[in-house]
Amino acid sequence: MEAAVQAPRKSFIREWVMTVDHKKIGIMYGVTSLFFFLLAGLFALLVRTDLLVPSGLFSPQTYNEFFTMHATIMIFAVIIPLLTGAFGNYLVPLMIGARDMAFPRMNALSYWLYLASGVVLLFSMFFGMPDAGWTSYPPYSIQSQGPGIDLWVTAIHIAGLSSILGAINFVVTIHKMRAPGMTYNRMPLFVWSILVTAYMQIFGTPALAGAVTTLLADRHFGTVFYDATAGGDPMLYQHLFWFYSHPAVYIMILPGFGIISELLPVFSRKPIFGYHAIAYSSVAIGFLGFFVWAHHMFVAGMSMSAGIPFMISSLIIAVPTSVKIFNWLATMWRGAVDYTVPMMYASLGFIGSFIIGGFSGVIVAEVPLDMHLHDTYFIVAHIHYVLFGGSVMTIMAGLHYWFPKVTGRMFNTKLGHISFWFYFIGTQVTFFPMHLVGLAGMPRRYQSYLPEFQFWNDVSTIGSYILGVGTLIIIFNLFYSAKYGKKVGNNPWGARTLEWTISSPPPEHNFTELPVVTENPYQPYSPQEVEEVATA
Amino acid sequence: MVDAASWLPTELTPMSHSLDVLFDVALGVVTFFFVLVEVLLVTFLIRYRRTKTNQTGVNVHGNNRLEVIWTLIPAAILVCMGVYCVKVVYALQTPPAKPEVIKVTGHMWFWEFQYPNGLTTKNDLRVPAGENVLFEIHSADVIHGFYIPAVRIQQDALPGRQTEFWMNADTDKVGQVFDVPCDQFCGSGHPIMDAKMTVMSPADYEHWEQTQLQKQKQNSGQ
Ligand SMILES: [Cu+2]
Ligand SMILES: [Cu+2]
Repeated sequence: MEAAVQAPRKSFIREWVMTVDHKKIGIMYGVTSLFFFLLAGLFALLVRTDLLVPSGLFSPQTYNEFFTMHATIMIFAVIIPLLTGAFGNYLVPLMIGARDMAFPRMNALSYWLYLASGVVLLFSMFFGMPDAGWTSYPPYSIQSQGPGIDLWVTAIHIAGLSSILGAINFVVTIHKMRAPGMTYNRMPLFVWSILVTAYMQIFGTPALAGAVTTLLADRHFGTVFYDATAGGDPMLYQHLFWFYSHPAVYIMILPGFGIISELLPVFSRKPIFGYHAIAYSSVAIGFLGFFVWAHHMFVAGMSMSAGIPFMISSLIIAVPTSVKIFNWLATMWRGAVDYTVPMMYASLGFIGSFIIGGFSGVIVAEVPLDMHLHDTYFIVAHIHYVLFGGSVMTIMAGLHYWFPKVTGRMFNTKLGHISFWFYFIGTQVTFFPMHLVGLAGMPRRYQSYLPEFQFWNDVSTIGSYILGVGTLIIIFNLFYSAKYGKKVGNNPWGARTLEWTISSPPPEHNFTELPVVTENPYQPYSPQEVEEVATA
Repeated sequence: MVDAASWLPTELTPMSHSLDVLFDVALGVVTFFFVLVEVLLVTFLIRYRRTKTNQTGVNVHGNNRLEVIWTLIPAAILVCMGVYCVKVVYALQTPPAKPEVIKVTGHMWFWEFQYPNGLTTKNDLRVPAGENVLFEIHSADVIHGFYIPAVRIQQDALPGRQTEFWMNADTDKVGQVFDVPCDQFCGSGHPIMDAKMTVMSPADYEHWEQTQLQKQKQNSGQ
């Protein structure tokens, strides 16, 4: 036994701060972004609390800062770093049978840059928070006083750099470091999704950097990119911004799709249905994702008919997404479905909620309907069904699924199920009513509102408190169980990807001998082998 | 106690009616697929629940015919929706003949309206029923969103660029008042940037426009 040879205990600095091990970096990404998740959730609860009464409880300026911070932190400091930084870093080398990422030092650098960008956002809480929304449209964002927007731009810049470095690392690692026999068509579907995501980050992020750099220049260096009186054009910012930020929506959901594609076959004890369809539909989404950006701008000053090509591309992109949904359902068909906590998040939690966001997306993609629904609460409902009912559900599924691999222990199953129901019910109660007030014409980003909107706003606020409680239960369960949970073996779920063939937690360099791969990990289960898993 | 607003507001114009028909069709299509997916999901969860620890699923890797079916059917439906939408877009966009032109200017944080005879008002929009009205939309400062939920249309109000849309209020709505909120974030006054639009009979509208202009001239003459 390795454990018998007591290695001298490393100091915290040596073990974590100076580490270049992809697993440790992945854990640091995970813990840091869970901290920011709590912070962003707190801002969300403050936003919802303001909306309990039509007149609002906070001042408009405070409210504007709260929703700006909520969205900025959730997108740049929680969902993207959790899915790519935490899950991607921890899992990709293990899944493709590599000993680490291609550039371990650059990997550490991208984590520290991510942390720095988060710290800049934290700073803004003391020196002045940004108040222009996560979109930060000029000219308002140029006129906005105080250092808030400048700190925001700085944070976005650093986060973007971290993203690009991370993405380059994934691309090189996946193309170059696969174990013998791990052909592209044998790669786990999560790895496929990270590969596509990484390419999207590389191609999209520079546009965002350009948008925020010019914004900063307009604020301080006397340039007039967005000053209409001097011949500038505020719409240019919106084009640059959405050229990144629509793909960013897919950056925030594709890795989640990958997580779902790993979990469903394991908990259905069946091969994934349509491996190639799922892998190639990710590629299709990644490609099409760059041709839909102006669907955010149907009412922003372009003629209505100029929106038609973007409407068509936005409708087409629903096809590869629905292909995935049908393949996932078919994976469960005639399976042996186990109601584990991660499976609940993946099936009812993710599929059951995300499709609502997908379908409302088809509605707002239609130019004539967007004339009414744009910038109303219908959009807020749509984006939260995609990012919360979608991305966050996949994150929760993944956290519970890989928890025993990362810690060598099992979370408390009972608490896990309780937290799932808080999450599932909380999501519907919080976000579904937003469709209704949106249809009725309530605009978003309103600190106060007309009295007829109060009823459903109050329902939403109650839902958000349910989500808040659920979040605390999840975090408690995971951190408590990491220390005190029941010990588990290498492969408690009976999964097939390579990370489950080695110890939990995995040894420092993953594989003492590189595995030789002969088939993709989605093979049928024989009754004898599941008997072994059950008794192990 | 005010009623809870939870669906589309009043249809003010023939165009808002046809937009609602399009919405109902789109909602019908997505609801069909929503119910289909949820029913399959719950059915599979219940029907194929693992009851014995050594139970396994069937050995199936996929089915090309099914892949083709569930790629082509949604694609065909989306193409039909797209074609339908394109028709509506051109109907929406084509400006009507000889409209009453009202110039709309967004300010931080109020709406200014300028009528053809030169009258300007603040947050007070009046339109003649049964007549074509064209809004020419501008901004004096940051971006605002000129939005009339009852008409189902909005356009951003931009500095240095004109946007527009038109409407034709139903004559049976004379006397009713509608909200005209700002729908593009514009700072701390964003939620209170709410004009009211009153639908008037053409004669009353004409009369109002003249008398208001007189009043305005007298006031400024003093
Ligand atoms: Cu988009
Ligand atoms: Cu405004």
